[in-house]
Amino acid sequence: MPARLDKDHELIQKAQRGDTHAFGDLYESHAPVIFRYLFAHLDSRMDAEDLTGEVFLKAWQSLPKYTERGVPFLAFLFRIARNVLVDHYRQSNRLESKSPDELDGYKEEGNLEPVETIGNQMEHQKILRVLTTLRPDYQSVLTLRFISELSPEETAQVMKRSVGAVRVLQHRALTALRQEIEKTG
Amino acid sequence: MNIEHRIDKILEIYTPAIKNGQETIDSIIEKYPKYANALRPRLEAVLWLLNAKKNFEPRQGYISSSRQYMEHQFETIRPHGFWQRLFSRYTPQRWVFNMAAPVIVVILLVLIINSAILTARLSIPGDPFYSTKLLTEDIQVALTFNQLHKTDLYIEFSRERTTEFVELVLEGDYELLPVAANRLETEIIASLHSLNEIPTQNQAVEQPMILQLRDTLTNEIFMLNMLKDTSPTTAYPGIELAIQVAQSGLMALR
Repeated sequence: MPARLDKDHELIQKAQRGDTHAFGDLYESHAPVIFRYLFAHLDSRMDAEDLTGEVFLKAWQSLPKYTERGVPFLAFLFRIARNVLVDHYRQSNRLESKSPDELDGYKEEGNLEPVETIGNQMEHQKILRVLTTLRPDYQSVLTLRFISELSPEETAQVMKRSVGAVRVLQHRALTALRQEIEKTG
Repeated sequence: MNIEHRIDKILEIYTPAIKNGQETIDSIIEKYPKYANALRPRLEAVLWLLNAKKNFEPRQGYISSSRQYMEHQFETIRPHGFWQRLFSRYTPQRWVFNMAAPVIVVILLVLIINSAILTARLSIPGDPFYSTKLLTEDIQVALTFNQLHKTDLYIEFSRERTTEFVELVLEGDYELLPVAANRLETEIIASLHSLNEIPTQNQAVEQPMILQLRDTLTNEIFMLNMLKDTSPTTAYPGIELAIQVAQSGLMALR
């Protein structure tokens, strides 16, 4: 992990001087993690891809005011990702309250994906159904720890909790998830 | 080490091994039979999440192919500097609002205070704003340091008290007359004291002031005598008191 932090630090410094290629490197190393986090909260792969791009654009724009004091770059990205998700939910709710004619194909977007991915899509929906029945903080801790593969320390920084609190939360969340899996079969 | 922490450590150690297929749930539980009951459901949940993770992976080659597009976007959208951030936060409309809001608040406050002072100036004893009127008069006296101006103010306030007294009689508020007469007396005494304190070299200025106070008091006595004839007997004590106060003031002036 320290090696990754050192590499991040070097790339951030270059990016802060305007090096887009350095930020591209940061994108390539962190985008999969951010994508997994976003996709674990969304039912459309295309939405997750769009929002991943949005997270990195926002991070790029906020880069001059980013200082590494206490907050690693990954935690900084996850905070942006969380805000982007909240904005997306708000926007989705607004759209859902409109009539079907006004939706402009928004809901149909998932159907545009290739036929061979429909099986994956169904599996994805099944997983999401289980995850979304959990409490939001349980969902967050499990997504960050096992889907995005963050360490307990990184998870604690993203969730703004102590490492001990994250461990306890994860312990309870796993129990709740097991019960939910059993219920849904 | 409590059970939660212990199980968490086991999960942390064996999660990569489960992921790689090097260990199974049963093989791990065999190593920790003491924690079997607590460990099994959690390990099953972890295994479920690890299988689920495969569904959340980005498309093959998506990240590397989107990188080029993203770098192009980074080129076109430069990071916001301090001034950009400030100006994006404060739009022209917001600047105008920020400037106009305090000005409007100040104007409204001035209007409210002004109308309150005007209402207070026209008030008579018994009105809600009368105490404000007395307070503004006290402030005026406190802020006047020139003896001549101060005397002028006292005489003006004496005239104000006589006018108020007449208005009270005309409006039939007889129960307030004794208090109003006492206030008139206080004001006349203050005027007389102030006249006495004017330095002798300013006598040329003092004379018109004395005449002014004398006229005020003479008119008051004349008016009150007239009103006494037309007022009910319940008003007599108050009017008599005011006439006596005015006469005493006149005598003191002589």
